[in-house]
Amino acid sequence: MDVVISGLLLGGAYALVAMGLNLQYGVARIMNLANGEILILGGLAAFWAFVSFGLSPLLTLVIVAPLAFIGSWAMYKLLLRPLVRRAKTRGQLEVDSILATFGISFFLVGVMVSLRAEYFTYSFLATPVHLLGTTVAANRLVAALIAAAIGGALYLWLNRSRPGMAVRAVAVSPEAAGLVGINVDRVSAFAFALGGAVTALGGCLISTFVTLDASSGVLFTMKALIIVIMGGVGDIRGAIIAALILGLVETAVASIIDPGLTLVAAYAIFLAVLLFRPQGLFGQGNA
Amino acid sequence: MLEVQDISVSYGLHEALHGVSITVDRGEIVVILGANGAGKSSLLRAIAGMSDGKVRGAASLNAQALIGQKPDKVVETGLALVPEGRGIFGTLSVGENLTLGAYPARARAAEKDNLAKVLELFPKLKDRRAQIVRTMSGGEQQMVAIGRAIMSSPDILLLDEPSLGLSPILCQELFRNLAKIRDTGMGVLLVEQNARQSLAIADRGYLIENGHITGAGSARDLANDPAVQKAYLGATSY
Repeated sequence: MDVVISGLLLGGAYALVAMGLNLQYGVARIMNLANGEILILGGLAAFWAFVSFGLSPLLTLVIVAPLAFIGSWAMYKLLLRPLVRRAKTRGQLEVDSILATFGISFFLVGVMVSLRAEYFTYSFLATPVHLLGTTVAANRLVAALIAAAIGGALYLWLNRSRPGMAVRAVAVSPEAAGLVGINVDRVSAFAFALGGAVTALGGCLISTFVTLDASSGVLFTMKALIIVIMGGVGDIRGAIIAALILGLVETAVASIIDPGLTLVAAYAIFLAVLLFRPQGLFGQGNA
Repeated sequence: MLEVQDISVSYGLHEALHGVSITVDRGEIVVILGANGAGKSSLLRAIAGMSDGKVRGAASLNAQALIGQKPDKVVETGLALVPEGRGIFGTLSVGENLTLGAYPARARAAEKDNLAKVLELFPKLKDRRAQIVRTMSGGEQQMVAIGRAIMSSPDILLLDEPSLGLSPILCQELFRNLAKIRDTGMGVLLVEQNARQSLAIADRGYLIENGHITGAGSARDLANDPAVQKAYLGATSY
């Protein structure tokens, strides 16, 4: 039971981060390898605000979201838009964007190391809470609940509102989206920025219970990638379930076998998915 | 009124369309007949702002210039294209496809009326609102594609080979529906290989060969023209 509860709580935070990458990859067609660094920036902001001003990470969320949105939007407009313009095929854009965002990730790591070379250690809500017969840290529970709230709101917005529908339309077919009067460029930039904001929020939340440092972004990029591929690109429901599975497996392996094997477990799942269900858990093949 | 003046489209060194001029008014069906590769699709895509090639010349709808505009701007001027292959959102539902059709600002006010119009035209879609489009038959998908285009409140509807892949019975139904759409006051520009059925419902027509307009006239005159009969109608009579 311990494993199930902590696994689901961890998976909740992962789900939010994967939603961010899903918006960037599924809609804007940018495989953003700097996704993890955006997450760490969110964590660094929460750490810095807490240590310097005693600001609760839950309040930092409100500041981080618009900043990450604007920052990601500028990153798309200035650095990625030229790649989108010149790419003749989707495959070419994918290769170009992987290389470009890989470079951006190093740049961001460098910036963060210069800001703070040590671990971002702080203690927030590190009190035990009894939940369904087991004990978890309050910060994990709060993080998972907020992640669920943000993810749920995003899901409803994407499925119920007209602008949300336009975002999904671009994910399904940019050409058809143009035909119904959707400005594909603008929606892509918006989705990329929104994805960055969601990822940074995930970073804020994760920093309350995981000790991050400037260079741990790549681990989260890999995890988000595993979740997005496992859930199926552009499939929000699939990503949520994949995130919970990853959280459960990581927690199970860490507590039952050895904490050092969590990454191995993550990659084992990734390999199994690529081998047996490359279209994702719920994917129906190519549209 | 849609006015296309002297449009040329080239892909690299290859010019697919040479100085084509046509007009389409509201309340009429105009058909463009031509063989595969004659440049019909190039023309429609150029007008709709979706050409992959280099487009020269001018086109305007309601006195607003179209060439050089992105597809989303073209839709706002009152032109809707149903491309070959339909261009629908396959993994979204019928209802979502139709709602997205009303995305342009010009279509918002009349969304309800247009939806009623679409469901009257295609009653089958009424019970299928929740169905995922790509699980439907070809004929039903074509209904969704045309329905979605009507949802954007166009003055002129462009259709690229709508009968492609449909059974003879569905073809008949399709052409009957296009005539109904025309009767609501919309202009229809139709690119077709099915000359017999399209000339039967059209008001006027153009012939296009190797990127040139080689003939134009009323649908009746074209249908009676021996050269047209030989080139386009003979092949379909056995």
